[in-house]
This record gives sequence, structure tokens and C-alpha cells, in this order.
Amino acid sequence: MNTLLQEVELLGDELPWLKEYRTAGREAFVRLGIPTAKTEAWKYTKPNRFLSADFVFNPHGKASVAMPDITFPFDACRIYFINGVFAACDPELPAGVEILPLAEALMLRPDIKELLGCRADMKERPFVAVNTAYLNEGVYIRVAAGARPEKPVVLVHYVVPEAGNGLYNLRNLIAVEDGAKAEILEYYCYTGEPKSSYLVNVVNEISVAANAVLRHYKLQDEAFKAGHLAFNGVEVKAGGLYKAFCLQKGADLARNETKVVLAEENAAAEVDAAYIMNGWATIDTTTDIEHLKPYTNSSQLVKGVVGGQAKGVFQGKIHIAPDAVKTEGYQLHKAMLLSDEAEIDVKPELEIFADDVKCSHGAACGQLDAEQLFYMRSRGISEEDARQMLIDAYLNDVMAKVDDENIRAWIKLSVNSGQSA
Amino acid sequence: MTTPLLEIEDLYAGVDGKEIIKGFNLTINAGEIHALMGPNGAGKSTLSNILCGKPGYHVTSGCVRFKGHDLLKLSAEERAREGLFLSMQYPVEIPGVPITSFLKHAVNAIRKHRGEPELDTMEFIKMVREEGKKLGLDAEMIKRAVNVGFSGGEKKRLETLQMSVLQPVLAILDEADSGLDIDALRVVAEGVNALHTSDNALLVITHYQRLLNYIVPDFVHIYADGRIVKTGGKELALELEQKGYAEFIKEGL
Repeated sequence: MNTLLQEVELLGDELPWLKEYRTAGREAFVRLGIPTAKTEAWKYTKPNRFLSADFVFNPHGKASVAMPDITFPFDACRIYFINGVFAACDPELPAGVEILPLAEALMLRPDIKELLGCRADMKERPFVAVNTAYLNEGVYIRVAAGARPEKPVVLVHYVVPEAGNGLYNLRNLIAVEDGAKAEILEYYCYTGEPKSSYLVNVVNEISVAANAVLRHYKLQDEAFKAGHLAFNGVEVKAGGLYKAFCLQKGADLARNETKVVLAEENAAAEVDAAYIMNGWATIDTTTDIEHLKPYTNSSQLVKGVVGGQAKGVFQGKIHIAPDAVKTEGYQLHKAMLLSDEAEIDVKPELEIFADDVKCSHGAACGQLDAEQLFYMRSRGISEEDARQMLIDAYLNDVMAKVDDENIRAWIKLSVNSGQSA
Repeated sequence: MTTPLLEIEDLYAGVDGKEIIKGFNLTINAGEIHALMGPNGAGKSTLSNILCGKPGYHVTSGCVRFKGHDLLKLSAEERAREGLFLSMQYPVEIPGVPITSFLKHAVNAIRKHRGEPELDTMEFIKMVREEGKKLGLDAEMIKRAVNVGFSGGEKKRLETLQMSVLQPVLAILDEADSGLDIDALRVVAEGVNALHTSDNALLVITHYQRLLNYIVPDFVHIYADGRIVKTGGKELALELEQKGYAEFIKEGL
């Protein structure tokens, strides 16, 4: 028996609807099983090692672990999770922002029930099913109509891995109401023994209402033997904008999957990402943008730097429904390979069922330029610094997609100071 | 007697298994300006690339000493930090790397090597701007990425700016005049001359005598088929201009 599904008692099991929902997740996973090489959606990223992994369910909760000393060089409203368990939230919330630990929201707010599973269908996603089976931890964030919180909400998930191979499931429900404008940053990190093979499995269900704007940033810097799986299910209403940027640089096996439904006219999404990796890691960026209505726009820029024997994967899909005329969808993936054994797999898919649309995709692959390297070294710059400068320069355009300059500077800094490098 | 800056003794070297430099000898002392003149394909760029440690070249025999030490043992960046500078014939474009941060990295790497503290960023930028202005590179151009969108002449000006900021002990100018009009040639030459002192030296590699009107050499060497075939004073360059290379090469062989 694999350890992905364990018999555990969860808070709220006494609520019939919740128990039922969790059981449905369990059953869905049993039915789907772990993806194999034959599963199209997981053709390049093979999560089968999770089947034989020796997972421990929440090895220790917040009580036994001290609060991490993680500070940000900008003002933020912080929410901390330690080893998969909600630990703390800054007491002062920005005006118009409501934050509740998920467990609390499930008990106290019957309306939350309606949001669950709306943006994250588990029928064909085994890890969303696992996440549902354990549904308990996470956070509910609501940005009230018209609100313009002056600082970002930062979700820190922090792993203290000594205790063993933890299995951490988080479900975050994020609702940005009409005309609101907010920023959310997710930060996944660890401390201490880096060799733990823990797994973080996150599902974010996000709704961006009419004329609302959500800027969603993420830095994935897990321990180098860890797994990180994330599914972001997003719906954008009329005139709304969902703008995402995700940098992945940690973990041994990681996927950041984003599905955006542009559900009404003039809805827009920009889903940008970068990944930097070495060793034997596989880092996967998967996107699926569905244009359902006219005048919807999407663009994606994904750039990767792959060294060692690592493998970068990009699967990008743009679907344009028959109704969705006058839409535009762009996608570009570029990767730089730093070694002969590094690999990238790219699978762009365009499904266009409407006329009168503008759509394009592109992919390019290159390596560090020997002439540029020599030029820099001939001026006294060490080879290592020169390589780093060229990599930074390569990622410059995708980093520029981070609109918030404080967050951009912080993310850039982490590129050069990586724990996981 | 003081140690020469550069001593090349009986050097045989090449690239891709092909011998290009065949028995090359040259000694350069502090305070001197040497001109190395030769026809296309003589191996001038091969020589400058080998001296600066560009990967891909091989040395079969002979030795090169810089300030009395074996130069060939050092990596490209170590050579630069010891004070060797190559003004390149075709400076490469580096999109995304601004000139100022590029130069700051270089200067600080060299200062660190010498045990000197790093420069203050504001002062450094001010200094680069002033030096740039002298060479006809305005503040807007210095904000750009290294060589990106620069004309041939502007690239050569930027090479000279780098030289003035890095203050090398020995600067090799590889075809510093190619792509320059008369005015730019004068600006670049003035920039180079301003840097020349009794403590440093220049090796000017060129096809034409033209540049030597502005940077006046103490010695002129005619380079053909991988070695120096004749050495003289600055008047040799004028003689060469009149007679052409063929005669000297015949004579030297």
C-alpha cells in the first residue's frame, strides 16, 4: 500500500458533507492511481517515486516548532504554515482583506463549501484528489469588492524536515471581488537537513471577479530531495486580470500547473514563469488557458535555465472556444541548457475553434555564449560570476514581468543566493 | 635591469590543430609602445587571443612571461587581474548586462586581487560617466547593455573606456582602428595616449600605418607567417606603407 493515502483522523470529520467530500477525494485517487508514462498529462514528469515513498502524515505540527525567522524587505501581511500546519497570521490585516485558516472556515462558514472544488476538478487530477482526501489545512482569503490593500498577502510554507518525509497538503481559497486589486505571494522554503524527501501538495482555487486584478507571485525553493506539486485553478470574470509569476528553483520533482478559465468578455490572464535547476531535478511548468468568451487575452512567457542532468518541462495549452472571437493568446518558452546532459521537453498545444483570433506559440533553446563568457573573463570577471551575470541577463525579461518592484528585487536576490543551488 | 613586462620566447602555437604562430619572439618593457603590423591571415588575432587566454588555442612550445612570471599558466581572468588588457577587434554584444554593472564587477575583481577595497557605486558611476564623456560616449549610452546597438566606432570607444577604467599594465589593441572614421580614430587614439605612462606599455596590432600617426610607436615589427620578419623604428611603418608587405616578407624569409 502506498503511503500517499493514510487513514488519519481529521478535524471536521463529524460534518457529513466534509467527510463525504474527503472520501470522494480518496476514491478519486484510488480510481486514478499515480500517473504513469502512459498518462499524457504526466508524460515528461514522472511522479511514480511518490508511490514508493515513505510518507509520514504531518510529522509534527506547529506546537513543537519555533516560528521561523523569515523576514521580507517590504511591508507584507504574512501567513505562516509550518510543516503543513497553519501557524500564525499577522494580526493586522489590510483594509478589505479577510483571512481565515481553512479549518476554521470549513467549520464556521457554510458558504465556503460552495467554493470547494469549483476551480480544481479532481476527476482527472490524482494529486488534487489526494489533496481533497486530506482537506483541512490552508487558508481562505477574500479581498472585498473595490478594496485596494496597500501591501501584499504573503503565504509562507516552511518545512523543518528533520522529522521525516512529511506529506503536506494545502488548499487555499482566494476570492478577489469586483473591482478589487490585490497581490499575493507564495513562498515555499525549508530549514535544516535538506535531504528529506517530503512532499508539498498545494491546490489554490482562485476567483477574480469583474474588473478585479490579482497579481499572484510564487517562489518555490524546497529542499533538493523534496517534491512540490501545485495546482492553481483560476476563473476570471469580465474585465478582470489574473497575472501570475512563478519562479521554481528547488525540489527534486516539481510541477506548477495553472489552469485559467477566461469566463467572460475582456477577461485577461498573464501566466509567466521561470525555473533554474541543477543536479537531477525535474521541474515542470504546465499551463492551460481557456478562452471561453470574445475579447479575452492571454500571454505566457516561460524561461528556464537547466544544468547538470536536470530536466525542464513545459506544457502549455491555449484553448479558444467557438464563441471566443477577437481573442488573443500568446505563448513563448525559452530555455538555456548549461550542460550536455541537461534536457528540456516542451509541449505547446493550441486548440482553436473560433475564427478571427490572434494566437501564437514559440519555443527556443540555447546555451551560454562562449564569446560573451571570454569577453567578461578577459576583463577580470571570474567564470562563475560571468556565468551568473549572463544567466541573470537571460532571465531579465521574464523577471520584469513581476510588477511589484520590491517583490521583484526579492525574487532576483534569491536567484543568486539559492539554498538549493 | 628591470624585468620586462612581456617576454615571448620562440613561441609555437595554433588553433584546431593548425600551427599558426611559428617561432615568435618579442620583448616589451614598461614605457614602450610597440606596433605589430602584418597582412591579413598572418595570425595577429591568434597571437592576441593566446596572450589573453582565450579557450580553444594550443601552445606547442616556447614560453611567455608577464612581469617575470609564466603567463600561460594563468586563466583569462587572472591575466586581466594581473594587468593585461585586450581591446578586441570585434567586441561582443552582451544583451541584458548594463555597461556600468559589467565594469563595476571587472574593476572590483581586479581591486580584490590587489587587496584593495571595493569602489563606492555612486563614485564609480560618476567616474565612468566622466571618462565616457571624454571618449564621446554620453550618459545615455553608458546606461545601455554592453555593446548592444553600438556602431563599430562606438564599440571601439567603449573598449577604450574599459581600458581607461581598468588601468592595465599592458594593453593589446587588436585592430583598434577598424570601423573608425577619422574623427573617431583621433578620439580613441587620444584616449589611449592619455593612459600611456612610463609604467605601462602598449602593443598595437594593425594592418595600416594610419593609426600610428596618432599612437606613435617606439618599435614597429613586421609580422608574417607566424613570426616577426623585421623590426625597426616608427619610420618602418611608413616604409611599409610605400612598399607593401610582399617585399618585406620575401626579405625576411
